[in-house]
Amino acid sequence: MKFAFRTWLAERLSLEPLLHLAQKKEVPVHRHTFWYYWGGMTLFLFGVQVATGILLLLYYRASADEAYESVRFIMTQVEFGWLIRSIHSWSANLMIGAAMIHMFSVFLLKAYRAPREVTWLTGIALLGLSFTFGFSGYLLPWNQLAFFATKVGADITGDLPLVGGFLRKFLLGGDQITGGTLTRFFGIHVAILPALATALVGLHVYLVQAHGMSVPPSVESGGAPVRRMKFVPNFVLRDAIGWLAALGMLALLAALFPWELGVKADPYAPAPPGIRPEWYFGWMFQTLRMLPSRILGIEGELVGILAIGAGATVWVIAPFLDDRQGRGARARFWTVAGVFAIVYIVAFTLMVYMGGHR
Amino acid sequence: MRCHVAAVLGLALLATPAASRAQEAATPVPASSAEASPKRVRDSCLDCHRRLEDPRLSGPTKKFDVDIHFVRGLGCSGCHGGNPADPEMTAMDPDKGFRGKPERAQIAELCASCHANAAYMKHYNPRPYIFSMDEFRTSVHCKKISEGDLKVATCTNCHGVHGILPPRDPASPVYPKNVAATCSHCHNAEYMKGRTVPTNQYSLWVGSVHGKALLEKGDLSAPACNDCHGNHGAVPPKVRDVTLVCGTCHGREAELFENSPVKKAMEDQGKRACVTCHGNHGVQHPTDDMLLSGRLGVCGQCHKPGSPGERASETIIARFRGLLGRISDGDSLLALAERRGMETGVGRAAWREAQDHVINVRAAIHSFDFAQISTVLADGEKTADAGLGHARTALRDWRTRRVGMALSLGVILVLIGLLALRVRRLDAGASPSA
Repeated sequence: MKFAFRTWLAERLSLEPLLHLAQKKEVPVHRHTFWYYWGGMTLFLFGVQVATGILLLLYYRASADEAYESVRFIMTQVEFGWLIRSIHSWSANLMIGAAMIHMFSVFLLKAYRAPREVTWLTGIALLGLSFTFGFSGYLLPWNQLAFFATKVGADITGDLPLVGGFLRKFLLGGDQITGGTLTRFFGIHVAILPALATALVGLHVYLVQAHGMSVPPSVESGGAPVRRMKFVPNFVLRDAIGWLAALGMLALLAALFPWELGVKADPYAPAPPGIRPEWYFGWMFQTLRMLPSRILGIEGELVGILAIGAGATVWVIAPFLDDRQGRGARARFWTVAGVFAIVYIVAFTLMVYMGGHR
Repeated sequence: MRCHVAAVLGLALLATPAASRAQEAATPVPASSAEASPKRVRDSCLDCHRRLEDPRLSGPTKKFDVDIHFVRGLGCSGCHGGNPADPEMTAMDPDKGFRGKPERAQIAELCASCHANAAYMKHYNPRPYIFSMDEFRTSVHCKKISEGDLKVATCTNCHGVHGILPPRDPASPVYPKNVAATCSHCHNAEYMKGRTVPTNQYSLWVGSVHGKALLEKGDLSAPACNDCHGNHGAVPPKVRDVTLVCGTCHGREAELFENSPVKKAMEDQGKRACVTCHGNHGVQHPTDDMLLSGRLGVCGQCHKPGSPGERASETIIARFRGLLGRISDGDSLLALAERRGMETGVGRAAWREAQDHVINVRAAIHSFDFAQISTVLADGEKTADAGLGHARTALRDWRTRRVGMALSLGVILVLIGLLALRVRRLDAGASPSA
């Protein structure tokens, strides 16, 4: 009976090629295999985001008058509403963390080498979308901290040369953060970004399947043939262990550290002390905060934004600049650059939380 | 009785040419716009008196340039008469209206000739303060002066002379923060020697809730002497007036007390309403300790042990302390829930509302009506219980969450263990291909 249903389903959905791919697919086994799991981990957390986000949508009301109250209602009146919201918030952070680990592991293992440049670019675009998810979602509870952090973020956007003013106005839907901004952020968060993210995730996963898992140059140069394991079930089961561990971590964080609601946003209130963006923007925030007001006659913040923009651009096109074989002095330079970027981001992020400033 | 002397507070000596004419005719004649304009001409009074060696004659010119009258274009002749355009001694010819230094008994009338004239004063201020001689005549100061007692304050004693500042100027002796000190220049033990007036008011007031609010916190709405006693019509409040005086600011309490049975009982015993429990000049911030049992509190000072009043106050005090206890417990439990990361917005709202009810109860006590106080107390208890209930629910949820988390983690760990076993078996069954 079970077999008959499977055949019936396979005939109608043409699952044969997919089943064949799953059976055929193999994953290299070497000392860096651990880093292969982080892409799947990011995808799992994205799934958690989608599921919890849909549940939150059932009760959330996107208006300046009702947003805060509706989130409070979710936290206090809806059965397990507190759990769903806390998991949504924690999962968002873990997802960005997992995505960053995935990106840096790809960079340092040089998995972006030809023919995987487009896979790298779609991954970077997905990380950018994740940041935008975080920025737009942060404002939705309409609390004081989020209100002013969004203001800081929008002001930094406004400092961009040429397009800054337009971008800021486009982002906020006006000159100030209002109920209109909240509606706009809500639309971006639940409609535009999910549509883009779904398309990009699809393309990214397709490219991973099309090109297979990259083997690091250091393993390739070893000479010995690289061992492999079946994607289904060996790798998938290991993936599942990681996902379960992530689920356990989310349960732990949600129960021990429920995501705060804070006080309702009041545009006329003074900015509360300790305003800072989400942790993944922290290193940029700290960089801009530590710069002098003027550098070589140019506004310090503008110089910082341009420098970060230039650095990010170089980071994005690194696959095209690095050695195609991933060997030699040029490859070592890019490895050192990657390590430097990690150390810089970690150090400057920690400084935000340790009170470091100019 | 007609009074001829000075006032306590109020802008004095705003004298003009109109004042000169007023001296001749009993009522002041309003100045024309031209006369009231601040245009200044050469003033022979100031020119000569500045050069005189006798400090009694040159002294008045020292601070006159900051005097509000001078600033607004009025000179010496406004009050003293004479002809400031005449550079000779003939400027002080009595035939030309010169009247010299006014007698103390004449000062209030002289000031009133302008300051009681609304039409005239409007040339300087569209919403002027209009001094009233009728009001001044009700004051103890005026009455004493009319009896020939010249050691009593007149306009110049409070407002100064030849250097008068507007009352809104912080340096003015009648600026709200300076009023009590100004009154104490006379109302002190040395000056009042031989009189029956108490002289400890100032030191008591400085240490009172009103004095601290005004002097230390800078709250200009806090009352000084004049807010309770009046200024130009200053009198000590009578027994029946005390509630009215306190009620100008403490309206709700005063209204409840007015309708209470205790009001008449106090009047019959000659007790001075609010003052009986709260004191007057040295009034302190009321504390709940005032409701302590027996002689420790204020209730027990009149209600003898075992009397119906004492029994009623004991019941109210016990319930009131119970309400405070519930609110305090609610605060502690809500704070604990907040430290544990729980959302307490609804509980906090109830807790704040319960605190508002405490204020209502404190006010309702002035009704001295057991039923009324009980009703307000019951409202407070209900709200405090709601806050407590929310706090307890939050803490119960917190415990439930931890249990749920432990159970789910247990399930997850079992699943991870099972998957790990499965992976191990798979790895053991088929070694990875090369």
